[in-house]
Amino acid sequence: MLRTCPREKEVKGLVERGQWPVAEATAPELHAHISHCRSCGELALVASTFQRARAEAVGAAKVGPPSVLWWRAQLRQRNAAVERVGMPMLGAQIFALLVSLALAVGFAGWQARQGLAWRPWLEQLPETTMKHIDSGWNQMLSSLWSSALPGSEWNWMVLLSAGATLALLGGVALYLATEKH
Amino acid sequence: MAKRRMTRMPWEFVIPNLFAGGVPLADGAVSPMDDQAFASFYERTARSLWAYLARTSGDPALAEDLMQESYVRFLCAAQRPLHVDEGEVACRRYLFQIATNLLRDHWRRPRTSSIEDVSEDFFARSADSARSDSQMTLGPAMSQLRPRDRQLLWLAHAEGYSHREIAEVTGLGSTSVRLLLFRARRKIAGLLGAGRGRKI
Repeated sequence: MLRTCPREKEVKGLVERGQWPVAEATAPELHAHISHCRSCGELALVASTFQRARAEAVGAAKVGPPSVLWWRAQLRQRNAAVERVGMPMLGAQIFALLVSLALAVGFAGWQARQGLAWRPWLEQLPETTMKHIDSGWNQMLSSLWSSALPGSEWNWMVLLSAGATLALLGGVALYLATEKH
Repeated sequence: MAKRRMTRMPWEFVIPNLFAGGVPLADGAVSPMDDQAFASFYERTARSLWAYLARTSGDPALAEDLMQESYVRFLCAAQRPLHVDEGEVACRRYLFQIATNLLRDHWRRPRTSSIEDVSEDFFARSADSARSDSQMTLGPAMSQLRPRDRQLLWLAHAEGYSHREIAEVTGLGSTSVRLLLFRARRKIAGLLGAGRGRKI
C-alpha cells in the first residue's frame, strides 16, 4: 500500500539543505517527526545517502574536454547530411536503371513480334561495312541507318534514344522531387 | 579564428532560445548554440551525468562511454523541438533522457557484460577499490535493486527530479513513477538500514 506522509516535502528540503542528520537545532520538531514517522525516516535516510553519494561521485568524476564531443557531433551530422544527399541520387540511379531495363525488355519483345527483322541486317553487317569503308564514315553511317530499318514505321535507334532520354529525365525528375522532400 | 569560421557552417544545428543570453538576430530568432555555449553547458552537467551513469551502472568505464555518446546525440538531435521557455533545465532533462535510454539499451543488449549478469558483489568490489564511504554503503544496496529502480532512485534523490520530470526522462507514466519509486525507496531503505544495523 502506498502510504506517504504530508511532511515529506519538508523532509526532502531539510536533507537538500544539508540539515539532516546534523543541525537538529534548526528544526527540532521536524527532526523529532522524522524519528517517529516511518515514511519520513525512510526518505531522510535514502535522500541523505544519495546526496552524499552524488557529491562524492561528482567530485571523483573525470570528464574529458568538450571540444572532442563537439567535433564528433559535427562529424556525425556531416556524415548524416552526406547520406541524406546520397539517398535521392541512389534512387534516381535505380529508377533510371529500371526504366532502361523495361525499355530493353519492351524492345526485345517488340522485335520478337516483328520476327527478328534485324537478323538479316546483322548478318550483312560485315559485308556492308566493308563495301562502304572506302566511301567514308558518313556513308557507312547512312548505310547502317538505312539497312537497320526493320520494315515498320519505327526506327529502333530513335526508340533507343528516346528511351535513354526518358530514363535520364526520369532519374533527374525523381532526384529533384526527393531532394526537395 | 579557424574555430569561429567552422562554427558558421551551413549544417550547424540551431536551438532557438535554448540558452539564456542567446543573441536575438534580425529576424527575431536567437543565435545558435556555438562551441563555447556547449562547453559551458558541458561543464555544468558532465559531472552529474557521469555520476548518474556510473552509480546506476556500477561501471565507471561504461559511464564514460555512455556520457560521451549522450552528448554527441544531444548535439546531433538539436533540431528536436524542446521546451524553449525552460531553457537549460529542459536541455539537462533531455540529456538525462538520452543517457537513460542508452543505459537501457546497454542492459537490453544480449552480452556477457550486461548489468543483469554482473555478480552482486561487483558493486561491493567497486566500492572497496574507490574507498568511498557512501559507495560502501550504497553500492551493495544498489546491487540488489533492479536497474530501473536504481535509475528512479538516483533521479529522484540525487538529482532531485520531480515525478513528472522522472516520467519524462524514463518514458514511464507519472503514476507508475510514484508507485515504483515508493517501492524502490522502501526496499533500499530496508537494505541501507540493515547495512547500518538499524531498523527503519
